[in-house]
Amino acid sequence: MITGTGITKIFKQRGGVLGAREVPALRGVDFAIAKGGAASFIGESGSGKTTLGRIIAGLETHDAGEIVIDGVPMSPLSHRARQPYFRRVQLIHQDPYSALNPTRTIHQTLEAPLRLRAKQTGRPRSWVDGRAEELLAMVGIDPGYVLPRYPHQLSGGMRQRVVIARALTMDPEVLVADEAVSMIDVSLRLGILALLKDLRERLGVGVLFITHDIATARYVGDDGELYVLYRGQVVERGATEKIIADPVHPYTQSLLSAIPVLHGLERPGAERVVPREMQREGLPDGGCLFARRCPFSTERCESEMPVLGRDGGPGTETEQEHACFHPERRGVIPVGVGE
Amino acid sequence: MTAHTAAPHMAARDMEAPGVRIRDLTVVYKTPSGELPAVRGVDIALAPGTITGVVGESGSGKSTLALSLLNAVQPPGRIAAGSVEIDGLGDVLTLRGEDLRRARGRQVGYVFQAAQNSLNPLKTIGKQLLDLGRSHDVEDLRALVRDAKDLLARMGMDGARVLDSYQHELSGGMRQRVGIMLALVLNAKVVVLDEPTTALDMITQATILRIIREVHEERALTTLVITHDVGAVAEVADSLAVMYGGRVVEHGPVTEVLGDARHPYTQGLIRAIPRLTGDLSLARALPGRPPTLGTLPKQGCVFRERCERRMDVCETDEPMSVNRDGRTVACHATDRHLTLVKRKEFV
Repeated sequence: MITGTGITKIFKQRGGVLGAREVPALRGVDFAIAKGGAASFIGESGSGKTTLGRIIAGLETHDAGEIVIDGVPMSPLSHRARQPYFRRVQLIHQDPYSALNPTRTIHQTLEAPLRLRAKQTGRPRSWVDGRAEELLAMVGIDPGYVLPRYPHQLSGGMRQRVVIARALTMDPEVLVADEAVSMIDVSLRLGILALLKDLRERLGVGVLFITHDIATARYVGDDGELYVLYRGQVVERGATEKIIADPVHPYTQSLLSAIPVLHGLERPGAERVVPREMQREGLPDGGCLFARRCPFSTERCESEMPVLGRDGGPGTETEQEHACFHPERRGVIPVGVGE
Repeated sequence: MTAHTAAPHMAARDMEAPGVRIRDLTVVYKTPSGELPAVRGVDIALAPGTITGVVGESGSGKSTLALSLLNAVQPPGRIAAGSVEIDGLGDVLTLRGEDLRRARGRQVGYVFQAAQNSLNPLKTIGKQLLDLGRSHDVEDLRALVRDAKDLLARMGMDGARVLDSYQHELSGGMRQRVGIMLALVLNAKVVVLDEPTTALDMITQATILRIIREVHEERALTTLVITHDVGAVAEVADSLAVMYGGRVVEHGPVTEVLGDARHPYTQGLIRAIPRLTGDLSLARALPGRPPTLGTLPKQGCVFRERCERRMDVCETDEPMSVNRDGRTVACHATDRHLTLVKRKEFV
């Protein structure tokens, strides 16, 4: 179990005539990933989703908030003392082409971390080779074929599976998959997504799934939680299937409206939310971060910042949490033909 | 929004959109194991005034096909056979030197893959626009700038500001629009967009797709969109061509191809798309992997290794493209089952 409360990250930009500028990348994000669970973070570039993944993997520090791994808060620990905990969180990169060392065979790639693991757990050296084969079989590739080969001899889909196998060498509790299928051929994406879901069930490993493509989140964690990030703030959170089927925040609705409709298989939803376009995006002082782009914003949105909760005023309580003063159901997602 | 387009493009709108006919196009690449075909025997017509989407995975030959429209295949590649006829221009593949250079930009506009990164970082957009004008002997550069501003405004941007900007001052979506402006500003009537929405955010992607559709209609263009993203094509195209291993395996109206795919590859691809609705358990990845130049079978069907309806004939004979009621399919199995029973074995 990994939980985070109030995770805040501020990037300081140096230089410029006006001196340093502070850019908040994460604004008090709370999350929890249970054993074998799934948490999907959806957002556009600049939403802070990658930064969050890196913080959870221990590759980035945060400025406020607390991460708790297996009941142990990380902030009182020294950098060194945190390492064994963060080793239980493994990151799967977006680009399987650059994530593997091109001068090493897959066997060598897996051998190094497995030896370390053998040492840590007091297993004999002979365990290493068998485990490498076991892990490759687990991610659905033929060890005999893959082990002696170099990364350039493998397809993108296979490389990504090797990257996942390498992450599993550390017996992780959580896999952080950051846009893990965006560079994989379309016909093979579903295979990787199904693998992540399968690993959740078989190994009880939790998956933190980071993506801009909401549809892919269903295939990894339709039973999990979905977090919609906008400019570092979680604006909607709840059961994945619930939010996809019935979003209430205008930003979530904008994202879902933007997904292309497969004409012939689907009909467009009844409504479509198109956010206003900003030439230069200014942020309102103290108001809702999305207000300037939101087609439904009111005066209140410009001056007051909504917090994540369930209440949208009398009679409008929703199942999921949202950060909006005017949550409303809108039929934005496409409907299958014949449904 | 619509107001500024009226005046400058009246002339353009009066002109008919040109048709494009690609016939028996074969493009080969020189490799250590001989010349291998990246595109092989492709026949495809772009009807005047329509948007054709070409969908394919890596190694399908889609980008090579697009480059052929400009006769711009670079060594080690070579156009080995075929013709690309564009109305009012003739066979592009016979053009050489100055004639070819003029046709590019004037008649055929091209928005390159990663147009965001194809701009010169050292020059403002306006300077690059003037370079483009001069290299095509545009006499009235003021009018060119005016047209560019109109186009940018049409796409929802402040033209004057964009022309004064360097590329790093613009967002990905804005750069993509600058790419479209540069492809259209010389009044090209045939436009090729190679992966126009890759690397863009969802909302920006939707905006760019809407703009492509609108500008296409207003300027009476014939447009070719090359992409790996079936969704993007579904949103914008009239007809859809599916490429695999250098062949067009299926081509037809977009709603028909998606709603009732006939080629096993198209069917598998559609089933493999992550979607917002529908039963999760019905979705499946295609087995195997897309072929590369080196792994393409020498004879028979290029898709057979991944095909669940493979027959003996697929090993030896390459399926011919069969045209029936406005749709083209190249598959032995489809061919047979269409004449025997209609969609029985496929659940």
